[in-house]
Amino acid sequence: MYAYDGLDRSLVRDRVDEFRDQVARRLAGSLSEEQFKPLRLMNGLYLQLHGYMLRVAIPYGVLSSAKLRALAHVARRWDRGYGHFTTRQNLQFHWVKLSETPDILAYLAEHDLHAIQTSGNCIRNTTTDPFAGAARDEADDPRVWCEVIRQWSTLHPEFSYLPRKFKIAVTASAKDRAAIKAHDIGLRLGRDAEGRLVFEVLVGGGLGRTPHIGALVKKDLPADRLLSFLTAILRVYNREGRRDNLYKARIKILVSELGLAAFAEKVEQEWAALDPTEIDILGTELARIRGQFALAKLDPRPAVSRGFEAARTREDFARFARNNIAPHKVQGYGIVTISLKGIGDTPGDCTADQMEAIADLAESYSQSEIRVTHAQNLVLPNVALDDALALFEGLRAIGLASANINLASDIIACPGLDYCALANARAIPIAQAIARRFEDPIFEEAVGELQVKISGCINACGHHHLGHIGILGVDKKGEEYYQLTLGGSGAEDAAIGAVLGPAVAAGDVADAVEALARRYLEVRQPEERFLDTVRRLGPTPFKAAVYEHADTV
Amino acid sequence: MTSGVRTDRATAVTANALGGGEVVFLASSSPSAWTARFEDAAIFDSDVAAEAALSAAAASDFKVVDAYLIALDNSAGVWTPLSLRERIRALGPTTEPQLGPQARGGRVVEALQAADSAARSSGRIRLIRRR
Repeated sequence: MYAYDGLDRSLVRDRVDEFRDQVARRLAGSLSEEQFKPLRLMNGLYLQLHGYMLRVAIPYGVLSSAKLRALAHVARRWDRGYGHFTTRQNLQFHWVKLSETPDILAYLAEHDLHAIQTSGNCIRNTTTDPFAGAARDEADDPRVWCEVIRQWSTLHPEFSYLPRKFKIAVTASAKDRAAIKAHDIGLRLGRDAEGRLVFEVLVGGGLGRTPHIGALVKKDLPADRLLSFLTAILRVYNREGRRDNLYKARIKILVSELGLAAFAEKVEQEWAALDPTEIDILGTELARIRGQFALAKLDPRPAVSRGFEAARTREDFARFARNNIAPHKVQGYGIVTISLKGIGDTPGDCTADQMEAIADLAESYSQSEIRVTHAQNLVLPNVALDDALALFEGLRAIGLASANINLASDIIACPGLDYCALANARAIPIAQAIARRFEDPIFEEAVGELQVKISGCINACGHHHLGHIGILGVDKKGEEYYQLTLGGSGAEDAAIGAVLGPAVAAGDVADAVEALARRYLEVRQPEERFLDTVRRLGPTPFKAAVYEHADTV
Repeated sequence: MTSGVRTDRATAVTANALGGGEVVFLASSSPSAWTARFEDAAIFDSDVAAEAALSAAAASDFKVVDAYLIALDNSAGVWTPLSLRERIRALGPTTEPQLGPQARGGRVVEALQAADSAARSSGRIRLIRRR
């Protein structure tokens, strides 16, 4: 795991001191809200329905046990005892006070955490595969490249006032667990025919009111030229992206208006004019960063863990093993996903007590390392299969042993109208109502992989466009209604879901989702996932299932 | 109220406290006071009166952010914010009943929770936008 050096520490501490002064001036009245708002946003502090929300950066979703304990402490001392993990692999505290925020940030800085660039029109937290460093199918450890991007993009003087926010995601696997095609820039790391590390660069993906799937702008970019190529893209965007219309300011609109070929040509011209020696990472620096991500020595284990196999005779553990444990690159180990989506839970919420318990479990069973997933779950990446049962029991003791990863109740949901000042409709109660329909694990597993994603407004923080079933809250004459989409995907087969039909009333959403799942069970072919069946048959049979009874507008 | 004005509608003034962030309302107790309890909010029978009270409150030592008027509804016999958004602000998250002003319970909180009038879009009156 990357460890801060003196430069990182002084940068974060200076920022805390600066913000403390700004907050004091705001509280004293010498800064107006208009003057102060951009300053607080640069430090991750929003004003929402019930008060201030602080978004803490978790670079590429990687946490240590010590950092998770620090977050638990913030939740308990300065918030209401919990935090909310987001689709940007960050953590939000929803109840902080402006007057206490400098103290919170100072405490976070002591633990090498901050809230810089979690808001504003800058390069946001780079996200990646939560299985990074442990996945069997990866070409390289994407965390190394995320850290390279973090260092390059942090307080980058040229890219601090972009036309709009800018999000980058990296994967090094064919299986996309980072939704790279839904990002302003998506990077897929692989190897060319000679075995050299190369990036595929996708550009112009994004959600919101005009969803786009990222398009390939560069193949076989030598990995050591990454930063100059990113600089070229950002320069073209910074220069030519629209600043006259908030809704047309993302790079996806620029790429779409120019056309991919013309945009790519501009980037190539810009890239050719750059001096790579000024921008690209030096081999020595790359080696230094890479050294920090070396997989700690995992004791060799037999391919078959007797304890694990014996435990799998227990149905509850067998279900957990099937759904929540993925193969590890080292024999005898697994990657364990901790679901924050138990029945009745708020997706992504985690209490201070749970954070501390997870930190302890990670210390015992996963080399003190924890990952945050863009699906609002947590991952312990390096678990010996021999320890999996003990970990399962530890998770069960804190109410976090739900065996539902990628199943219907593993729902992404934004905070919605229960917290967010932008929302039109609630998302959390809808997620909870849907999850209850899949409470029977036999039914839920029979339905299999089904990704339900809910956003409370068109800004799409809940990634509804990418849901196999997407749900968008809308305000219809003052009442909460929900538009359903089918057929979206955030994976390597990325697609934007298509609207199924008229929006349905809040009380009918869970019925609709259950009806869709049951119709799938009736019409699927063997081995087909829900998404595959939707793609094969189109919307007609599903439309009929939903609109037989629903109250629609 | 003048004739022709609906007697089941009124206006309150809301904001967030600057330092703490909590939801506040202009209070009925004194002209420039703010309260975190919706039941203690001043009820104005016209937007003009509410705007005037908001202007007067600018001199208050208690600083607030993003003040605006909200429409109230009295169709159930208790004044409640017309929009769901504003009822959620007055109560706290619907999914966390132990958090926010709703935690203290009482007749007005129960009336807010039971209210089903909606209209987010008409619930905020001439929102003062600060961008």
